[in-house]
Amino acid sequence: MHAGSFTQLVAAAAALGLALMAAGVLWRLPLTIPWAVLLTAAAYLVGREGSPVVDGGAAVVGVLLLVAAELASWSIGEDPRIRAEPSLVLRRALTIGALVAGALVLDVLLLGAAAISSSSGVALAAVGVAAAVGAMVVVVRLVRG
Amino acid sequence: MTRWATPKLASYAGLSGVGLLAALVSGRPELVALTAPFVLALVAGLAIAVTPRIGVDFELDEARALEGDELGARIAVQASTPVERLELYLKLPPGVERVEGRNPVGLHLASGELRELELTVRANRWGGHVLGPVYVRAFDALGFLAWEARSAEQRELRVYPREDALRRVLPPREPQLSSGNEVSRRKGEGIEFADIRQWTVGDPLKRVNWRASARRGELWVNESHPERNTDVILFVDAFAEARRGNEGTLDLAARATAVLADAYADRRDRIGLISFGGILRWLSPDLGVAQLYRVVDALLDTQVVLSYYWKEIDVIPRRTLPPNALVIALSPLLDPRSVGALLDLRARGHDLAVIDVSPVPFTVRPDSGLDAIAYDIWALRRDALRQSLQRSGVAVAEWRAGTPLQAVLEEVRAYRRHARYAHA
Repeated sequence: MHAGSFTQLVAAAAALGLALMAAGVLWRLPLTIPWAVLLTAAAYLVGREGSPVVDGGAAVVGVLLLVAAELASWSIGEDPRIRAEPSLVLRRALTIGALVAGALVLDVLLLGAAAISSSSGVALAAVGVAAAVGAMVVVVRLVRG
Repeated sequence: MTRWATPKLASYAGLSGVGLLAALVSGRPELVALTAPFVLALVAGLAIAVTPRIGVDFELDEARALEGDELGARIAVQASTPVERLELYLKLPPGVERVEGRNPVGLHLASGELRELELTVRANRWGGHVLGPVYVRAFDALGFLAWEARSAEQRELRVYPREDALRRVLPPREPQLSSGNEVSRRKGEGIEFADIRQWTVGDPLKRVNWRASARRGELWVNESHPERNTDVILFVDAFAEARRGNEGTLDLAARATAVLADAYADRRDRIGLISFGGILRWLSPDLGVAQLYRVVDALLDTQVVLSYYWKEIDVIPRRTLPPNALVIALSPLLDPRSVGALLDLRARGHDLAVIDVSPVPFTVRPDSGLDAIAYDIWALRRDALRQSLQRSGVAVAEWRAGTPLQAVLEEVRAYRRHARYAHA
C-alpha cells in the first residue's frame, strides 16, 4: 500500500469516528460511541503500523478516547428538563477527572512495563487473557439479565 | 427498585473485550494502553456501585385551593445508602403547574442524608387533581447502572372555581313558603309595604295605618309582601363542550355555577344541582354553607363523558325538581339531548332560565370555502335554537368568555320582566 493511500485511510477512519461521535451526541445515540472509539483507535493503530517501538503517546491517546467517551455519554444522558444541582455537576466532573488521572497512571505503568521488560510477555499475556475473560463475563452477565 | 444497565455499560464492556482480545492476537502493547482506561472505568464503576435505598415522602400544604392559587409542596427524600446521582420527578396533572422550585431535579445524597425539596405549584384549572407519584432514578458514580422506582405517595388537590361577586341574582317566578330574602308578590306578613285595606276582625293593632284611617274616618290597615326563600336548581349541561387550550365551555359553566350557588346560598335560598350529561349527577335542594360545599364538590367531579344514551328529563329524580323551583341552566346548546331536556322542563311548567355558554369563542371560522359556509350555517342554527327557546317562554342569554356574568344575568332578568307567563 502506498504511503499516500495509507494516510488517506487513517484520515478517513479518524474522520468517520469523529462523525459517528458527533452524530451520536447530536441525535442522542449512545450505541454510536463504542463504534466511534473503535474507529478512532483503529486509525491510530493503522497510523502506527510498521513501527517496532512501543509508542508512549498511546497512553495519552487511550485516555483521550476515554475522556471523549465519558463526555459524549454525559452529553447524551443529560436531559435539559432535569435541573441538576451545581454540586452534582461538580461531583461528576471530579469523578471523571479522577478516573482519567487513574487511567493515565495505569497506562503509563503498563507501557513502561512493556518497554522495560519485553521478556515478560507471557505474564502480560496472562493478565490480558484474564482481563478479556473478565470483560466477556461481564457482557454475558449483562445479556442474561 | 428496578435495576437496569445503561448503554454505557454494554459499550465499555464491548470495547474492553474487543480491545484486549485484539491486543492478545496482535501482541501490540499500544492496544492494551488504548483499552486499559475503559477496563479501569468498568471495573471501578461496578466495584463502587451500591444498590441505593431511598425513602420518599411528599406533602402538599393544602388539600383545597381556589383557581389561580399558589401552594407549597414538599418532597422529602432520605437515603440510607450513598446515592451518587439521583433524579427526582414529581408528576403534576395538566391543571397544575410548577411556579418555583426544581422539578425534575438531579442531586447527590450522602448516606443517611435527608433532603427536603420545596416546590411552589399553581392550580390553573378547577377540578379534582392528583399530584404524584414521585419518580426516582438513581445512577452509580460512573453511570453504568441505574435504579428506578415510583413512590406510591400521591396527594389529592381539590381546586374550586374562583368566584366573582354578583350584585343581584335572578328572582324566581314564585318563591317557596319558607322565610327568606325574596320579597313575594303575594300579600301577607312581612316588612315590605304592599297596600292598605279596610280593617277586619283579627287584624292586629300594630298594622293599623293611622293616617289613612284618620282621612277616611274608619280603620285601615297596612298590607305587606312576605319575604320568602327560593329553590334554585343549577342545571349544568355536561353532554358536550367546546374547548380550546386550557379553557372550555364546561369551565365557564362550572365557574358560573359556583358563583350562582354562592350568591343564592348567601340569600338563604335552597340550592340544588343537576349535572346532566354522559353521567347524571344531582343534589336535592338544601340550604346552608354545607350544601354550598356539596354543590361545589359535586361540580369538581363534573366532566364531559361521551355517551350515546338518549337521556330524557324523566331520569332526574322527582325530588330534585321541586314545584316553583327556579331552574338556571348553563349549557353551550351543543347537544340536542340537553336542548330537548330544557324544552321538556319548560313544557312541564318549570321556571326556566338558560345561560347559553357560547362555544363560538372557542372555535375558528374558516376563511373560505365549504367549511366557512358550514360554520355560518352552524352559527345561524344556534341563533334559531335560542329563538325557539325564547318562543317557548324561556329566557335565554348568550354568555361569551370575558363578559361579566352579572351582565348576562341582567339580560335574562330583563327578558323575564317583560315576558309574562301565559297560563293556559
